[in-house]
Amino acid sequence: MTRWFSPLVVGAALLAMPGHSLEAQGDSSLAPTYGRRAPAVRGIAIDARMAEDFGLATGSIVTLSGKPGERGDSVAVAAVFERKADPAEVARREYRIRTHLDHLQTLLDLDDRVDRFAVGVADNVPVDSAVARINHVAFGFRAHRSADVAVQSSRTFRVVERFHRAIGLITVVASAVFLLCLLLLSVEERRRDIAALRLMGISQGTIVRSIVIEAAVVSVIGSIIGAGIGWISSLIVNAHFQQVYRTPLLFALLTPEIFAFATLTSLALGIAAGAAAAWRLVRTPPLTLLGR
Amino acid sequence: MSMRATLAFATLRRHPARTVLAVLGIAVAAALLLDMVMLATGMRESFRSLLLTRGYQLRVSPKGTLPFDSEATIDGATAIVAALRANPDITAVSPALGTTLALPGQAFPSVFTLGLEADVQGDYVLEAGRDMPVTAGPSAPLPAVVNHTFLVRTGKRLGDTLTVAAGIDAQLRTAARNRVVVLTGEGRFFYVPAETPVMALPLPDVRTLLGPEYRDRMSVAMAESRLGDSVSVEAVRSWIATTQPRVTAISTETAIRQVEERLSYFRQLAFVLGAISLGIGFLLVATLVTLSVNERRGEIAVLRAIGTQKGGVLRQVLLEGFMLSGAGITGGLFLGLITAKWLNGILRDFPGLPAAFDFFLWSPEAAWKSLALLLVSGTLAGLLPAWRAASIPIIRSLREDAVG
Repeated sequence: MTRWFSPLVVGAALLAMPGHSLEAQGDSSLAPTYGRRAPAVRGIAIDARMAEDFGLATGSIVTLSGKPGERGDSVAVAAVFERKADPAEVARREYRIRTHLDHLQTLLDLDDRVDRFAVGVADNVPVDSAVARINHVAFGFRAHRSADVAVQSSRTFRVVERFHRAIGLITVVASAVFLLCLLLLSVEERRRDIAALRLMGISQGTIVRSIVIEAAVVSVIGSIIGAGIGWISSLIVNAHFQQVYRTPLLFALLTPEIFAFATLTSLALGIAAGAAAAWRLVRTPPLTLLGR
Repeated sequence: MSMRATLAFATLRRHPARTVLAVLGIAVAAALLLDMVMLATGMRESFRSLLLTRGYQLRVSPKGTLPFDSEATIDGATAIVAALRANPDITAVSPALGTTLALPGQAFPSVFTLGLEADVQGDYVLEAGRDMPVTAGPSAPLPAVVNHTFLVRTGKRLGDTLTVAAGIDAQLRTAARNRVVVLTGEGRFFYVPAETPVMALPLPDVRTLLGPEYRDRMSVAMAESRLGDSVSVEAVRSWIATTQPRVTAISTETAIRQVEERLSYFRQLAFVLGAISLGIGFLLVATLVTLSVNERRGEIAVLRAIGTQKGGVLRQVLLEGFMLSGAGITGGLFLGLITAKWLNGILRDFPGLPAAFDFFLWSPEAAWKSLALLLVSGTLAGLLPAWRAASIPIIRSLREDAVG
């Protein structure tokens, strides 16, 4: 609820004014203007989602104000930018614009104020000592290492990742029990066949091995079919959520590592279940298996 | 126990390993289903109860923003609050101004501060000490209510004093305004994350601290409609939207809808996993009962030969599915509550989440409905094998069983 440290968001009243247009200026109008006169109509960059929703393009003139109801400045859309596929912003449906720093400061009556600035240190200066030196003289602000900021801002994804792992664990347990149950049943259903093989003189080891191989083959085939279903599901999930959130972000991904993990888990469970069920049956006398 | 139930129970007991595995499988599926139902309904209910903690059904925020979603504030706050209070359909209005104040010489440099009117505030409940007055004198120490995290991180106790500052000038290394604050009370703040230190001060004094440009500003106001039904609340919301063009009025329902949009991923994940749980439960029971029926063709043929009606066989096989599902669901209920607590603990670590917000909330109606759905699904899973069992050709099955 509280986002007091978030970057400045302009409480902008934005109004498209069709009929007026400037020449397309591209990104150049947002380039620094040192030693040059600032253009009469300032340029802003808007995100593609905003351009699409408001029917704006480069050259469109819009009104931008710092407070609702105020007259504001006429500005030109100088560039349209695609937002990064950032999971932190995916559920936020706000629009984004980029202005020159001094322009925004003027709009918001913020005299020479910024939320943050980035500092690049020379290659031979340790970041920690630079941070310590800045904080030693800092008054009303603090310096942080970019790595620490990244760790803090990635906390959301680490929570989501832990949640997904937990859900994954529950799903694996459920699948394992299901697989064990099915293999146990499928082996037990063939009590008569196994009894006949034993009566024909086939050794216990041969029967156990054949059942284990069969269970392994079934597990691998099942895993491949499951991976196919998973892959198709991931396509549907991605298509759906990309459209819902209007982002190129991938929500579900079937990687070779995930496929290998699923197949190996299934194989191990299949072999274990097949061996356990087969061992139980071969230890039972053949005539008992036949119900005699 | 009736003869039919005894037979069904004996059939399940004949193969303890497979029965235990099936019950375990259904229990895990039931637990997952219960968790997903709790996730899907919990967020909504938890957020609703959070918003209605102190009875305020409406939030008034700067135009185009959600409350505290940006640093924007509302100018002309006094006139807006007065206009709202003059409306007979509104029983209470609580304005709040949020800001960050510097804490010179303390363990952490700044604290999130709420300027509130103590007599109408709906942001915290006092847990220890004294509440703050509506306003303090110009020279006396400012009375403050803080949360437990603030006390822990500063090492202060109730009654201690400290200095807060605003208008920091980094170049001149000065603060434009500062005040001594006395910590009079400890409160539990509803909308602030538990790990965030927070301080509440009288609203007029926070405005004074922030300087002339904030003398008539607020970040948000909460309003309580005289009638609590959704139609009346919506009428008040609509009136605010019409008469106050510089603000956005949001009802609890709208806020819930907007948060649901943002968190729709979790709801849809819950729906997909819940559907998979139902499917797993159905398949387990169907597979087990089908194999069980195939094994007992001779036994069923004997039952039919001695006069058991088709309906009797059908009901007995269905009863097996019901018993399996019932046992699994009973286990799944406990397993689900334990895993829900575990998963809720994980998601509660989300940064910026109010302390009182839960993702998994026990909702008896939704939980019982979902588990009943699994029970019906499990019972119906036995329908096809039950029908096949009841339709067994008696003579042929008896001969096959005798010959082997």
